[in-house]
Amino acid sequence: MKKLYASWFGSYWSPYLVMALAGILSAVYFGITNTVWAVTGEFTRLGGHILEFFGVDVSDWAYFDLVHMNGTTWTRTDGWIVWGMFIGALITILLSSNFKIRMPRQKRRYVQGFVGGIIAGFGARLALGCNLAAFFTGVPQFSLHSWIFIVATAVGTFLGAKLVNTRWWKGKPVLKMGGTAPTVRTGKSRQPLLGALLGLAYIALIAYFYATGRTMLGTAALFGAAFGILIERGQICFTSAFRDLWISGRATMTKAIAVGMAVSSVATLIIILVYGLDPITKIAAPSTFIGGLLFGLGIVMAGGCETGMMYRLMEGQIVFLPVFIGNIIGATALAFAWDHMGVYNLLVKSGAPVNLITEMGPAAALLVTLLVLGAGFAVAAYWQKNYRFGVGFKKGDTTHVG
Amino acid sequence: MSVDFTLDLRGESCPYPVIYTLETLRDMKKGQTLQVISDCPSAFRNVPEEVVKHGYSMAQEPIKNGQEFSLFIQV
Repeated sequence: MKKLYASWFGSYWSPYLVMALAGILSAVYFGITNTVWAVTGEFTRLGGHILEFFGVDVSDWAYFDLVHMNGTTWTRTDGWIVWGMFIGALITILLSSNFKIRMPRQKRRYVQGFVGGIIAGFGARLALGCNLAAFFTGVPQFSLHSWIFIVATAVGTFLGAKLVNTRWWKGKPVLKMGGTAPTVRTGKSRQPLLGALLGLAYIALIAYFYATGRTMLGTAALFGAAFGILIERGQICFTSAFRDLWISGRATMTKAIAVGMAVSSVATLIIILVYGLDPITKIAAPSTFIGGLLFGLGIVMAGGCETGMMYRLMEGQIVFLPVFIGNIIGATALAFAWDHMGVYNLLVKSGAPVNLITEMGPAAALLVTLLVLGAGFAVAAYWQKNYRFGVGFKKGDTTHVG
Repeated sequence: MSVDFTLDLRGESCPYPVIYTLETLRDMKKGQTLQVISDCPSAFRNVPEEVVKHGYSMAQEPIKNGQEFSLFIQV
């Protein structure tokens, strides 16, 4: 028992396994609810509710019609996906005694996170989804907009990586001569007990949803928690999947996410064909590219995407609080700009939803998707092998003093 | 084991642990040892992976101390 506990919560899980599981779960979730695993749509609605609370009439904002504002966040499946992710992540963080209030030493991080959060939230909603609906769960729906978004995100994160590497942005660390003895901690952590209690309370809530006939809410709460647990246990970071390629050539996350999307594509196609469902296709337009670009830049500035931010906040990384608030502000600002500032007419109207299944049939759509994912995996593997911090692809070791 | 420098990164989250560590190592002399203290959960995996890939070695197993950990890296 103790051994099992240690292997589950003593160390992190393989990101490949985690992403493959998340890919299967998100396909099953689509099969049950006919919606995808997504979060920023709900962030926009939260922004709308906040505006309503302060007496702003948002009933004529076109974007809120598009994302459907009915009910409250507690009566929507998309709401319970978000809260379930927060709670699921918090449960496993507590079970592994890893909660700690972590305050950045450099105060500039709060401002950087806030600004990055706004840009990422704005960009994500402009593209009609973040790293989930326009990426991880968008590709398996064979929606062309996801591919445009991915390319644009790569460009955006490249710009972001250049920015965070500048001296004035990154600041200076505390470097001391000699070693530092770790402060010895005594006593047992109470965190696992809290985690177990929270887990039981949450299971009771899910049971209550099912018992009172709100099966879809129960399902969303259940899957939300599962997604939260998975991304926390695998330390899944979509930001790092791109950013680390540009900084040090680390590609573990890139490869894991590609594997997850491949698994999810197969699983989703089976569900689409067996149950005769229509894949969820979003508009591919100039807004998709510009949104992805802004999203990529924003997540690197903020240090985490819309999902990574969620479990990091639960870990006690306070810097992600301004990121979360920024995400909501950015998403809401886009909802305003959509019709009030002509964003729709300028960047979206010319586009159209394009789905690979409709364009080329299911077999070819899957084949093309898997081929492109495979090529992405191969490029990432080559990149990891040859790209070095500070020198890029140049040959030769890093030079040392002396 | 003698440690030459300590990089105290408590409170810093991604990507700064990797950037700071690799920058510091680049300026150190061959044979010297760097201790990195961090409480960023993802750094526990990212930093060792990256330093090894960049040709440095882990001088000993990481020491976990509650929510913080120390890594020992040899140039």
